[in-house]
Amino acid sequence: MAEERQEKVTTVEFSKEITSKLGGETITFCYQCGTCASSCPVAKITDRFNPRQVIRLALLGQREEVLTNGAIWLCSSCYNCQERCPQKVEIADVIYALRNIAISEGNIPNIYAEFANALISEGRIVPISKFLEKKRADYGLPPLKPAGIEALKKILSATGFDKIMPKKGESP
Amino acid sequence: MTVYTLFLGCTIPARQPHYELSARKALTKLGIELVDLEGMTCCAPPPLQSIDLETSLAIAANNICIAEEADLNIVTLCTGCFESLAMANTLLKEKPELKARVNKILSSAGKEFKGNKEVRHYLQVLMEDVGLDRIKQSVIKPLNKLKVAAFSGCHLLRPSELLRFDDPERPQIFDTLIEALGAKSIWYKNKLKCCGGLLRGYADDVALAIARDKIVNASNAGADCIATLCPFCFLTLDLGQMLIKTTYKEEYNMPIIHYAELLSLSLGVEAKELALDFHKVKIDKLLEKIG
Amino acid sequence: MDEAKVGVFIADCGGQISKILDFEALINFTKNIQGVTLVARGSEFWRGQGLQTIVEAVKSNKINRVVVAEGTPKISEIAIAKAVEEAGLNPHLVEVLDLKDHCAWPHRDTPKEATEKAKAMLLAAVEKAKLLEPIEKAEFPAVKSVLVIGGGIAGMQAAEDLAEMGFQVHLVEKEPFLGGLAAKAGRFFPTDDCAICIQSPTADLKTVAHTSRKCVYRSGFSEIPNLNILANSKVVKVEGVPGNYKVVVERKPRYVNEKKCVACDLCTSVCPVEVPDEYNAKLKTRKAIYVNTPLVYPPVYVIDEKACKFYDCAKCVEVCPTKAVELDQKPEQLTLNVGSIIVATGFREYDPSVIKEYHYGEYPDVITHLELARMIDAFGPTNGVIVKPSDKKPAKRIVFVQCVGSRDRRWNPYCSSICCMISLKHATLIKSAYPDTDITICYIDIRTTGREHEYYYERAREMGIKFVKGRPSEILQDPATNTLVVEVEDELLRRLLELEADLVVLATAMVPSEDVKELAEILGIELDQDGFFKEYNAKLRPTETKLRGIFLCGGATFPKDAPTTSLHAHSAAVKAAKFLTQGKIVKDLKVAVVNEDYCGDCEFCPVTCPYGAISLAPKENGHFVARISELLCEGCGVCVGTCPVGAIELRHLRPNQIAAQMKALLSVNGTSKPLILAISCSECGHAAVDSSGMAMISYPANVRVLKVPCTGIVQVQHILEAFKAGAQGVMIVGCKPDGCHYEAGSQKAQKKVELAKMLLNAYGIEPDRLEMFNLVYIEGDKFAEAARMMTERVEKLGQIQLA
Repeated sequence: MAEERQEKVTTVEFSKEITSKLGGETITFCYQCGTCASSCPVAKITDRFNPRQVIRLALLGQREEVLTNGAIWLCSSCYNCQERCPQKVEIADVIYALRNIAISEGNIPNIYAEFANALISEGRIVPISKFLEKKRADYGLPPLKPAGIEALKKILSATGFDKIMPKKGESP
Repeated sequence: MTVYTLFLGCTIPARQPHYELSARKALTKLGIELVDLEGMTCCAPPPLQSIDLETSLAIAANNICIAEEADLNIVTLCTGCFESLAMANTLLKEKPELKARVNKILSSAGKEFKGNKEVRHYLQVLMEDVGLDRIKQSVIKPLNKLKVAAFSGCHLLRPSELLRFDDPERPQIFDTLIEALGAKSIWYKNKLKCCGGLLRGYADDVALAIARDKIVNASNAGADCIATLCPFCFLTLDLGQMLIKTTYKEEYNMPIIHYAELLSLSLGVEAKELALDFHKVKIDKLLEKIG
Repeated sequence: MDEAKVGVFIADCGGQISKILDFEALINFTKNIQGVTLVARGSEFWRGQGLQTIVEAVKSNKINRVVVAEGTPKISEIAIAKAVEEAGLNPHLVEVLDLKDHCAWPHRDTPKEATEKAKAMLLAAVEKAKLLEPIEKAEFPAVKSVLVIGGGIAGMQAAEDLAEMGFQVHLVEKEPFLGGLAAKAGRFFPTDDCAICIQSPTADLKTVAHTSRKCVYRSGFSEIPNLNILANSKVVKVEGVPGNYKVVVERKPRYVNEKKCVACDLCTSVCPVEVPDEYNAKLKTRKAIYVNTPLVYPPVYVIDEKACKFYDCAKCVEVCPTKAVELDQKPEQLTLNVGSIIVATGFREYDPSVIKEYHYGEYPDVITHLELARMIDAFGPTNGVIVKPSDKKPAKRIVFVQCVGSRDRRWNPYCSSICCMISLKHATLIKSAYPDTDITICYIDIRTTGREHEYYYERAREMGIKFVKGRPSEILQDPATNTLVVEVEDELLRRLLELEADLVVLATAMVPSEDVKELAEILGIELDQDGFFKEYNAKLRPTETKLRGIFLCGGATFPKDAPTTSLHAHSAAVKAAKFLTQGKIVKDLKVAVVNEDYCGDCEFCPVTCPYGAISLAPKENGHFVARISELLCEGCGVCVGTCPVGAIELRHLRPNQIAAQMKALLSVNGTSKPLILAISCSECGHAAVDSSGMAMISYPANVRVLKVPCTGIVQVQHILEAFKAGAQGVMIVGCKPDGCHYEAGSQKAQKKVELAKMLLNAYGIEPDRLEMFNLVYIEGDKFAEAARMMTERVEKLGQIQLA
């Protein structure tokens, strides 16, 4: 199965997969200058993440590795790399695209599954406790307007977002 | 009277009502009317964009539609909400193909994004609608040359091509607004670098190391406090110091405070009205310094 | 014009093509065409005895039109026309057709059909010949004088070449001194010799011997006869045509008399004004009256009018021993009459302050190469010592950053080509002089492509210069020590580095000189997407522009190193001189003419002409008519194809000639297939047809070829007429859209084809009967394929049925 997959996905195919995804359109402009790596606050602290390396692996067609080695979840979305890239590669957005692909195939870290489930049930990724909601009046804050959950559910259904999520308790 | 609809997002009402409180008080004092609208949801920040970008754009657009229907511009407190909504607003206004795609999704909820409203951060509202002069005049208790390490966070400025808020390499707006309160916005190493907040929950050790760096740099520069705009940054740096104490055995006692709180205090709001017990790192000494 | 007496000369090419074509039948057929007074057959007619036959026929007045069926007409045409002219007949009354490559060879498998097609081709040639008109030559003035704009090494080299060739050269330079970038750069790679060294004659101009290299100073450059150097001057207006331009030059006042100044420097010692010396990267100051360095040309001081206090001070006037200072000088304008113009305005460094993360302009110790060059120069502001501009202490740790503003889609997307070598040069020069300096070069790629450039790179490594593959993201400054810190990822080590430096040198991009847009407008030439002057075609027409009398050389077209600049300058000089050498331009008037009565003042044609040959001349009633410059017109016919009322015609291909040829080509079928007319441009299109025949690739004989100068001449009505005349299918064969030899003709033809298809559809004729093909000469096989494909397609569609 893995071998079949290796043969199927060549360098060019993975690049095409990424460039045809929202956010990933610019990945092939990269000429590996390393500006992103030295702008990255995470790369500075740990060698578990290096944006240049992620892009390199992706452009070399190493689909499996990129989607499963965990590096793509270490981007803090600070956009410093994207600001400074001399080829205007939208690096942070490319990483979103890679995450999107990973999640659509079932590779989703727990924390994201939690956010998603909260969104589906309450319209917010950080649920607001009833306790705190009641306390608002004590602080002099107006009551919280209800979230538009119905409309949200329709949107999530229209994009298939609700199907992306593994059921509660089922994350890898 | 300038009117905006206030977009609260999730984290502020869930974890930081003190931010909302001080912001409402300050903005109202400065002549901004804030309207709360029904039907807003999460703005669709990076965690959701990581799951699916298209859905996130649709969610953001949906929120903007509600404001469009009420014919109101949006003001946000959280810079993450600002990035998410402003980015979606600009992208959809400028890319007709993307707009069509998102509107197709929105039509399932009976909504249509028109692109006739603005999304602003409250700093923009302060600069442009209220104006520096009025702010300076309204300051009753100037902050006594307090040494503030300004930390706007990433998403106020970047991606600058879409947010167009301030110069991403040489931002000035935040510093100017801090100094308008009589404080001093000091230089410190890596002022514009990320706090690592979004890594919390996945790689807490890395996130903590990045947060620690920020605290150390502000401390070394002699800051009295770090002023924040983003609730995530606040949590990372404030709650983070508790974790730094247990993990690194280091104590910095660096007060983390939202700009809105500093603003409220300088406009004469009493500290006891601001629900300040939400701060993990005690800020009594800071309040003393301000007087 | 007398009645046409057409002589037809049919070559059988050593009896080869008569094996395929029935020559008996052809000759009989031709004899019977009305107007033909002579038919001859021979092996060849473009040289030898055959050519003599033609000449005698002309001389004896038996014929006054010449049709020759000959091989390789592109060559034979020239020889035949020349001989005919010498015999006393206008050479444009000659029509050459190719029965070999256009008939016998491609149709060798169907000799009967080939013969029928040959008949049609001969008929077409004869009918056209009957309608040909004599075309005269015209002479235009060619002033043997050239204007060179820009006094850097490119301009100086070109000027020197031309002056030596005997031309009057005016060299205009906007700065007060010659030398351009080279004068600032100090030394050039890969030889590290003086930048200002150029090849030039010895001071003793009576001898032929040259030393190979002399700098501006030693070469006696200024004493070259015929060379008029106008420093401190700019071109403000250009009018006229190639061979005869009137140029207005404005000279800024120097305030110092060139003939009196002895360069004694007394004036600077009394001048009270000090301003930052921009020439020396503001590393020092200069006075309001100054020269850039001691070694300048012209060796005459100049006053900076923005800094000088003039009569509020005038100390220099008092002290000057020869009374050379003249504060009353005013700008003057002069008009030059030149035959051609060379633009050599060079390039300059990009200002990297927009790249805010590098803090250029904010941190004084972040500098560019030109600024470093001033420090390296022993005559420079620091006497050759490399220092930190902030505190003038020696810089012991230097980091170079490559690709600053180059290869950057935010600023300049191209590679500036020379900066890798410049960094290597500066690094090795500094390391040679001060071996204990720690030097690191941060790069994305090291580009050392020229001759000997790789050895230069090797030497740098041998000297211990360090290389980090990684582009720095930021330059920080430690506020405590003022040391610079360069943040960069060493990709090969996979490690994030923080390099400490006393001095950071940015290899900033090379961009066009200032005022280039203004100059382009004044001259009427184009800039490319990066803002450099656009070379017509770097391979086929280097150093030329689309305007025949204006040339480019040096860094003005793109950053280049000294050897390439030199080549470029020589090329421009030759081209600028070539068409002026005879003192006149002689041209066959194979041009377009406007029938002013028909011209409706729609004003489309001036815009379409790729050569700017069409202008609008006012008429009495407030309207304008189009007028075509006989000098500038290339005879392509694109204007003919544009004019909606058919007011423009080509002298050498009138509408009646096209119609006659069409009718004739379609008059004889001889095959069982539907007739197809292929209108081919005389450049690529026709050449592709030629090459298919030369390679003997088969295609069916129902395809008939009509040659036009450019497919741009094709009007929708030509296509409709072709169908009316009997074509069941029409092919338009032209150059590739980005390679039209007349700029945009084939693209215009494409549009007409699309329009025609719509009309055909409206008339109930299948639009698929019409197709455009874009080919190049070597695609003969593709032409044959296209011909076969169209034949099949039209066969399937059957006969045209008009509703």
